[in-house]
Amino acid sequence: MSSQTLQADHRTGTPWDTGQQGIRIRNLNKSFGKKHVLKDVTVDFAPHRVHGLLGANGVGKTTLMSVILNHTFRSSGEILIDGEDPRENAKVLERTCFIHEDQKFHDDDTPASLLRILPTFYPNWDAQLAERLASRFQLPMGTRAVKLSRGQRSALVIVIALSSRAPYTFMDEPYLGLDPGHRALFYEEFARAMAEHPRTVILSTHLIDEVSDLLENVVMLEDGRVTVDADIDHARDSAFVLRGLEPVVRELAGGRRILREHRLGNILSVTVDGTATDGDHRRAHEANVSVEPVTLQELVAARGMRGADNADRGL
Amino acid sequence: MTPRHDGRPIFMVLADQIADDILQGNYPVDSAVPSTNELAAFYRINPATAGKALGRLVDQGVLARRRGIGTFVAADGPEILREERRKAFNEDFIRPAVAEAQRLGLSLDDMVALIRKDTP
Repeated sequence: MSSQTLQADHRTGTPWDTGQQGIRIRNLNKSFGKKHVLKDVTVDFAPHRVHGLLGANGVGKTTLMSVILNHTFRSSGEILIDGEDPRENAKVLERTCFIHEDQKFHDDDTPASLLRILPTFYPNWDAQLAERLASRFQLPMGTRAVKLSRGQRSALVIVIALSSRAPYTFMDEPYLGLDPGHRALFYEEFARAMAEHPRTVILSTHLIDEVSDLLENVVMLEDGRVTVDADIDHARDSAFVLRGLEPVVRELAGGRRILREHRLGNILSVTVDGTATDGDHRRAHEANVSVEPVTLQELVAARGMRGADNADRGL
Repeated sequence: MTPRHDGRPIFMVLADQIADDILQGNYPVDSAVPSTNELAAFYRINPATAGKALGRLVDQGVLARRRGIGTFVAADGPEILREERRKAFNEDFIRPAVAEAQRLGLSLDDMVALIRKDTP
């Protein structure tokens, strides 16, 4: 692909992206031996949106991504990308890019050699963007990838993911190694890349509050199952916090499921599963209890910890 | 850089921030406001969210899109915002102030005196 074609694309939009249908997953199961990791997962990843794939460690996020891309075989179920099964399907897979921090590189790969060879694998590769990002992230172009620091490796895979302009970009904890300044740089470049060339992104991360303004949709996994699949604002509405004197808070919470609770002196703070109703607000106001929204991070922590508790009890 | 949340959807927070800038004259009538892409990169937010914030102000008649050029502050944009905020003044400022005054035992006269003191 000549750079002229890429420039033309820059002005006129994204012809490759048109006709994206998204990813459709039905009753997906994956077991490793006796360990049932993905349990009947049914979810759609709508096209041209940024999806946060969230959940505690070990709930199956990485497995889900690698099964979608057929890096790991599924046990049963259906996966369609743009209506096609990705298994042994080069046409579909060349529309995808999958990066994670522990990306394996060959011994002699350097950032420079990778940025030279990768356009072969990614039809939409944006060489100008790759150059600009490499310079902004101060990637040492001549250093062998295996010798890069953790932060530099994160930066390298980020440069690859954004420059690939793959219609389906999967980023699995891409930037844990980055310091705050470089994470801010990533968020900025990510927002710009999405604005200029919309694509479908599936991003897993633990730094949820930092990234939540970039997400449009939230898919939460708990113990191999999808428990939340919602627009980000609706996801935040799926729980709320009551804070006040313990007996009143308990009464207000009623029979509803409590995801998490904290105590500070006489004050009890509980995260309640569900949406706060007008009645909740009224009764809470009368009883001097505050009703507060949860952040996405708190929500994932509350649900994630519950999952961990269950795991501890062997449920 | 990210606008604060206080539980409201981020696009509303961003729309208010742009509105503040218009009322303060940082974006005068007929001047261009930043594009969706510029807002997204600057605030590190999803471009769809930035677009929604601009769309809200366009729907209110505060901003007007000019096809292929950009989005501009409409002639009566500042007045529309002022009118909207006058309507919300009671809810947003008076009621919380009265509630706090009651907690502190301040009388209505005390409050009036305080307001007089701070009014140039």
